[in-house]
Amino acid sequence: MDVFVMQNLLNWLVLGSIYALVALGFSLLFGVLNVIHFSHGDVSIVAPFVVLAVVQALLASVFPAATLGALALACVLAIVAVGLIGVLADWLVIRRFRNAPAMMALVATVALGTVVREVIRMVYPQGSNPKPFPRLIESRVQLGDLPVPVFSLFVIAVSVLMMTVLFAVMRYTPLGMRIRAVAEDRATARLMGIRPGHIFAATFFIASAVGAIGGLFFASYAGVVRFDFGIQLGLIGFSAAVIGGLGSMQGAILGSLLIAGIDTLVQATMAEGASYRLVFAFLLVIVVLVLKPSGILGRPIMEKV
Amino acid sequence: MAVPLLETRNLSIRFGGLVAVSRVDLSLAAGETLCIIGPNGAGKSTLFNLISGIYRQSSGTVRLDGRDITGWPAHRIAAAGIARTFQSSRLFGDLTLVDNVVIGMHCRTRTGVIDALLRPRRARAEFEAAAERAGELLRLVSPGLYERRHTLAGTLPQADRRRLEIARALASDPKIIMLDEPSSGMDDRDTDALIEDIRLTMAERPGLAYIIIEHDMRLVAALPERVVVIDYGEKIAEGHFSEVRLMPRVQEAYLGQKAAHA
Amino acid sequence: MMAEPPRIALSARHTSAADVAVVAAAELGGALLLGLFLLADDSRFIVALLVLLGAGFAALQIRPAIEERIVAAFRNARFTALGLGSAIVLAYPFAMQGSSYALHLLVVAQLYAVLALALNFQLGSANIPNFATGASYGIGAYTSALLAIDFGVSFWLTLPIAAVVATAFGFLLGFPSMRTRETYLALVTIAFGIVVHQLLNNFDWTGGPNGLVGIPAPTILGHSFAAPIELFGARLPSQANFYYLAAALVALAIVSARRLHDSRVGLAWNALRADELAARCQGINVVWYKMLAFAVDAFLAAFAGSVYAAYVSYISPDNFTFLVSVTIMTMVIVGGMDNTLGVILGAFLLTLLPEKLRIFADYRLLFVSVVVILFLILRPQGLFPQRPRSYGGR
Repeated sequence: MDVFVMQNLLNWLVLGSIYALVALGFSLLFGVLNVIHFSHGDVSIVAPFVVLAVVQALLASVFPAATLGALALACVLAIVAVGLIGVLADWLVIRRFRNAPAMMALVATVALGTVVREVIRMVYPQGSNPKPFPRLIESRVQLGDLPVPVFSLFVIAVSVLMMTVLFAVMRYTPLGMRIRAVAEDRATARLMGIRPGHIFAATFFIASAVGAIGGLFFASYAGVVRFDFGIQLGLIGFSAAVIGGLGSMQGAILGSLLIAGIDTLVQATMAEGASYRLVFAFLLVIVVLVLKPSGILGRPIMEKV
Repeated sequence: MAVPLLETRNLSIRFGGLVAVSRVDLSLAAGETLCIIGPNGAGKSTLFNLISGIYRQSSGTVRLDGRDITGWPAHRIAAAGIARTFQSSRLFGDLTLVDNVVIGMHCRTRTGVIDALLRPRRARAEFEAAAERAGELLRLVSPGLYERRHTLAGTLPQADRRRLEIARALASDPKIIMLDEPSSGMDDRDTDALIEDIRLTMAERPGLAYIIIEHDMRLVAALPERVVVIDYGEKIAEGHFSEVRLMPRVQEAYLGQKAAHA
Repeated sequence: MMAEPPRIALSARHTSAADVAVVAAAELGGALLLGLFLLADDSRFIVALLVLLGAGFAALQIRPAIEERIVAAFRNARFTALGLGSAIVLAYPFAMQGSSYALHLLVVAQLYAVLALALNFQLGSANIPNFATGASYGIGAYTSALLAIDFGVSFWLTLPIAAVVATAFGFLLGFPSMRTRETYLALVTIAFGIVVHQLLNNFDWTGGPNGLVGIPAPTILGHSFAAPIELFGARLPSQANFYYLAAALVALAIVSARRLHDSRVGLAWNALRADELAARCQGINVVWYKMLAFAVDAFLAAFAGSVYAAYVSYISPDNFTFLVSVTIMTMVIVGGMDNTLGVILGAFLLTLLPEKLRIFADYRLLFVSVVVILFLILRPQGLFPQRPRSYGGR
């Protein structure tokens, strides 16, 4: 196969994987809590900043030489930290809108996103400026004529692994069962001795931690991160989850691949592709929703009369 | 023979593999009252949803005054003269009683955006006239509702919600009113009062036809002239209540269920 | 039949001295508070004013009777309220001590009030989410600016043309609302807003990311809006021209809002907000009314856009982003859905607050966001919640 085509197929899969990690969080949270957590993208993009801070602290003090170890440790710390930030966001803000109209939660989480961005900007030294972010893995392997960055393969592998783990957790573990029970019917789940508050916290932790991985990959793929990258990442992840059908994890993955697909296609084939990629991505969103009003794999809304 | 006011032929709807309403023929003359009875889940409400255009039929036709209205959208069917209430009353809870009834007059009033913006006098006159009529209708249905006409509909007790829904349905000057279990959720005393109110409105407008889905046997015995029994989506009997109730098939399908219910 | 309730003609309503006093106190007090806030420099003073405002709303929350009394007074003393209100609006620039900054803030706040009122038709009356009001605002601004720059069309002519163009886009945007709803519809509007923003950013003829420069100021009877106003020996900064223009636009928006609200159309919107299916069964063509709401929103927003373009004489895509739409939405929710006064107040607060908090420099965006979140938690119904419709006899 043509190197150019293969290159773009690879780009597509990498981008799709990154978007899917964020979209899954949107879908999971909507499925369980019926809430749009619009600051999910902003929360996810906290992860690269935690990594940068931790790496700097480690290099300055403990082990000046072991860069890779420091990076790995920092990533794990960042993922856990962001998971906890998600729980905190729910505890402080989102849980207060459980029974409010959907628009209230949407607007509140948009404001929460601003809070997250501003806190990053203020807490991180010179937070307004873009920060270079390292490739997590630098090496390449040769695949035929194509030199493939190991990083790309790593992103795809980790994403597939995360999706599998998430599916398995939801389907086969007691926690997953409890989450699904709460998603299905909160009142009944409570009667069965499940405490919805704990389930919500767990769901937020899982969604945010998975989003954090997406945030790390996003920054690493771009090679740079800025405090407001979360807006775009969030919008794309949200769109992917919605066109796939909110609440459906397969839908979130499908939506991500679609958006990443049009993104890659436009950049590969159009002269000014880079500037028009968002136009086409969001036109796709509109077209999909006009044709399939509840998303591709979403359950159609059938009103009970 | 004169053309019936409402006529359904072979009306059916399937949800996936389930046939919810199957080949139902109904016929209703102007000023007539028809009661539809049948066990829970027999497809009575689904039949209403078909006639009022909320569901799309799988096959069959609906005619109003000889005109084919099959498959029309709900708002056109309402405008054509079929008004209805819902089993779990669906009022506009955050609006006042008057608002609710004025909304019922939507298809009998004309003001559009341009009129509202550029001909305020005319729009206002129509609006106030509608409010005036809404007051009269509320008083007709129940003086108690008239007293509370500027309170929010969401605050009403169940019996009054039902009355307000009937007032709202009357507001569109319909040819037919379909009442979906008007007595559901009400005790005997409220039901008796409701029967009286319905009788009163019937006397007030002799040309108006009614189709009533009902579970409460007292209401069925008290009001309608003709009864249709539905079971498993099919019409299994039709006639006067006193005759229909004696048919073995009806007793098996419906009264047996009723006994089990009690 | 019982006797008809007596119908009281509007002019014959009984107006008591107490009503007049309440109206005057409310209007003058509001104007004074706003004026002090606009002209204040000392940050402690600004915070004190905000605390006072907060105390006022706390009082309303604890004692709803106060609000009822004020509303009743305004209803009874309608003409006093209207006359005094107009006089205050007309005289206001003279009280600004020639501060062009204060006038600038008032112009922007009024334009946002128009945008919030526009969105209120949808979000407030009909509960249709629309994250694209910023896009309609931008379409209006760009249409008007391009016509003025490229074709030399007079501002007064671009105003209606821009509105018509934006309305056409509004209908287009409303089209998916035929089938899509709630969160899904919200995403359609978000996507539309982003597409418009990105296209403005990429097209050559819109000036790309640099936008359009040198949009001419309107003139009226030979008086340019870029020139100061000299009247009765007083000299008002040039911003005063746009202050009056924006005030006229706000008045237009208020009149439209009231006329539509108290009409068959407003009721139809409210009906589909409360229960779409029941609305259909009352003969309401919900698809048409949804598209209508999109169109009305776009129409008014385009007016605001045209005035904005002529006012700042320079526009770029970044004036019309997704976050602008969210801000407008926040104004409606914070102010109070389907309440004209509340929506205007929401717009003023959310425009002026970040500006006057410049002293907090870096922290102001954070501060405003936290306030918005707290507000949504503590008073979800908004500053002034929706009120039952009143009919002539009451």
